[in-house]
Amino acid sequence: MPDMDVYLTVFLEEAKENIQELNDLLLELEKDKGNLEIINSIFRIIHTLKGMAGTMEFDVLAQVSHKLESILDLLRTNKIKLNQDLMNLLFKCADSIEESLNDIASGGKGETFNIKRLEVELDNYLVTLKDKETEYKKIAKTESTIINGRIKDCYNNINEETMNILKHVYQKAQEKGLNFYFLKIFLLENVQLKQARAYAIYHRLEELGCEIVYTYPSVEEIEKENFDRELVFGIVTSKSIGEIAEAINKIAEVQSVYVDEFSESLMEEAILEKEKQQEENIENNEKEVKLLKTIRVDINKLDELMNLMAELVIARSRIVETLSKYNLKEVDESLSQLSRITLDLQNIVMKLRMVPVSFVFNRFPRLVRDLSQELGKKVNFIIRGEDTELDRTVADEIGDPLVHLIRNSIDHGIEKPHERIAKGKPEAGTLILSARHEGNGVIIEVEDDGRGMNKEEILRKAIEKGLISSSEASKLSDEEIYNLVFLPGFSTKTVSTEVSGRGIGMDVVKATVENLKGTVSLETKKDRGTKVTIRLPLTLAIIEALLVTVDNDVYAIPIANIDTTQRLADGELKVVEDREVFLLRGEIIPVVRLRDLFGYGRKQGLIKENIVIVRIGNKKHGVVVDKLLGQDDIVIKSLGSLLSDVKEFSGGAILGDGRIALILDVASLM
Amino acid sequence: MGRRVLIVDDAAFMRMMLRDILTKANYEVVGEAANGQEAVDRYKELRPDFVTMDITMPVKDGIQAIREIKQIDPNAKIIVCSAMGQQAMVIEAIQAGAKDFIVKPFQPSRVIEALQKLE
Repeated sequence: MPDMDVYLTVFLEEAKENIQELNDLLLELEKDKGNLEIINSIFRIIHTLKGMAGTMEFDVLAQVSHKLESILDLLRTNKIKLNQDLMNLLFKCADSIEESLNDIASGGKGETFNIKRLEVELDNYLVTLKDKETEYKKIAKTESTIINGRIKDCYNNINEETMNILKHVYQKAQEKGLNFYFLKIFLLENVQLKQARAYAIYHRLEELGCEIVYTYPSVEEIEKENFDRELVFGIVTSKSIGEIAEAINKIAEVQSVYVDEFSESLMEEAILEKEKQQEENIENNEKEVKLLKTIRVDINKLDELMNLMAELVIARSRIVETLSKYNLKEVDESLSQLSRITLDLQNIVMKLRMVPVSFVFNRFPRLVRDLSQELGKKVNFIIRGEDTELDRTVADEIGDPLVHLIRNSIDHGIEKPHERIAKGKPEAGTLILSARHEGNGVIIEVEDDGRGMNKEEILRKAIEKGLISSSEASKLSDEEIYNLVFLPGFSTKTVSTEVSGRGIGMDVVKATVENLKGTVSLETKKDRGTKVTIRLPLTLAIIEALLVTVDNDVYAIPIANIDTTQRLADGELKVVEDREVFLLRGEIIPVVRLRDLFGYGRKQGLIKENIVIVRIGNKKHGVVVDKLLGQDDIVIKSLGSLLSDVKEFSGGAILGDGRIALILDVASLM
Repeated sequence: MGRRVLIVDDAAFMRMMLRDILTKANYEVVGEAANGQEAVDRYKELRPDFVTMDITMPVKDGIQAIREIKQIDPNAKIIVCSAMGQQAMVIEAIQAGAKDFIVKPFQPSRVIEALQKLE
């Protein structure tokens, strides 16, 4: 066997996509249970999955997919009806398969407890169906042979040449006053010696004086036994339909026979339909070809590419910087061209790493559905801006915090229907998950119209847990109170439900977001709802930063964190309670001097200092520096594990002139 | 009621099985033959309603027997009992005048169904 590991990543990637699609389709199907198109799509997905799992020798997964496929097949051929029980079973399948895939991803064989149990469940389901189904089959069979009146599919396998011959035969038969019939014969299941059986039928027809002008399959195929249970004959005879049908029915192992007069119009119709279908197939193939024009790339390769790209950006900056000293007119044009190209290249590389947030959002409708069902709440879930793109790494990380926020909203925020009605709100709560670009980042908001946060409750909890003292509590502004929920160890619900009480709290949400160089803030109003806003950088690798200096050292402050900058006049900083503050448009802002913070000592001479007002969430802070050098794209380099406990800097960057700038982690200054 | 059947097969076991199947289905097994020649003789003597005919038999094979019986009685209703893989022989038997065929190993329901259809 070839080394399957090579395929494993592709298998997992694709299987997970399939599961995602499956979940989406199931949600649609639940709303529109009779939609055959959806059922067919689901069938296709499961079929694909079965094939893939089988090839990869994940047997349990393959078995489950196979059984699920059987059920879906019954659904799509209308043999069973889709009820809520079955719907729930389908959802369960999606979950168990996903779990099994996760197990495979972490090195297992995908044979989780749940999927094994599911296999048994599916078996049971199929067994109970079987009796019903066979009954149904019998009815359906008689119906299709008697009620339909005319069967078009006799003509399905006739090509144009044969069609013309048959038309000719029909004409001749009519001239001679003979009948031209089409026979469709079904044999019983598991017929042995099929060729002989076909011959017996053939022989019987000849005995009756019929001239056989057409057979499907062809005589050669019949001799090779290349057919299933169905035979079609075209015959010219003086006998009546009834006589022919009776004679054929008397042959052993014939389950049913249908005889109909040849119809030119039906034949033509069938052929037209076949052509149309072929065209559709071609179209589908074309579609597939289009899809095939994408390739899958290992994210690590993209990281490498990004790294090289970063080096290129640095090299370009150095060249530009060096050459600018010589003021060479001739290179100006090629330099600006180089700059343009690197910029384009940089954008493309960035875009390569971008995925639409739908990549993350897609799984939430399912989550919301399950949660609201579990908790007996009604929720209108609205997703906006799912096309907004962000870095794949950011997207990977942001999923869990969002899950938590959504859980919170449904569990703690949105009230039960009767409560809502009592408050004069619509019975169903609204939960909006939105994403949009803003500045150099992406904003993701989770907003509900639930009961909002309870200030007193938060305070009480925070004091009880020893997070703040009661004297501190009285000084806090509303906003500061709400921000207490982000403190480690905080949870407002005394009895944590199965839903929200999974150990991850708002503090983890905050930590995750901050790790991604993002910020999180929340607004809430009693009985009006809560809105949590997450700001994220577009990418983690290159940021726009303001370069500032203290003495001869350069520091970089991410533009995303900067509110304004201002030249600092003498005496503009006031001292309040032993701390320097800055007055910005009537707002008192605490100030930190980098010079003091990093131990540079007093400033020399009469340098005019500058203040950079940075913002984290809704909090502002002033940072006093010497000079503002300007804005630049910088490539973040990690400080390495040795310096991992340095909190003040999120990394370093090499500047165009070869100098090194440390990137300030603004949040740590506060 | 009680259609009369002649069973032709060189294996006693097969004859026994067929007898059981047919008897249960209310057929009267009027005789048995172990080869083609016996079959022709018994047919003349018994004039059964149906004959079940094995193909490969000593002395005289089933196909020859069918031809001879058909000469005696053109309306004879003979059903061939064939093993799997004897496709060509079955076709020959049908050309010789057999009405139908069943395939060993027998499924009782299919044997009975085939006979009922011959009536």
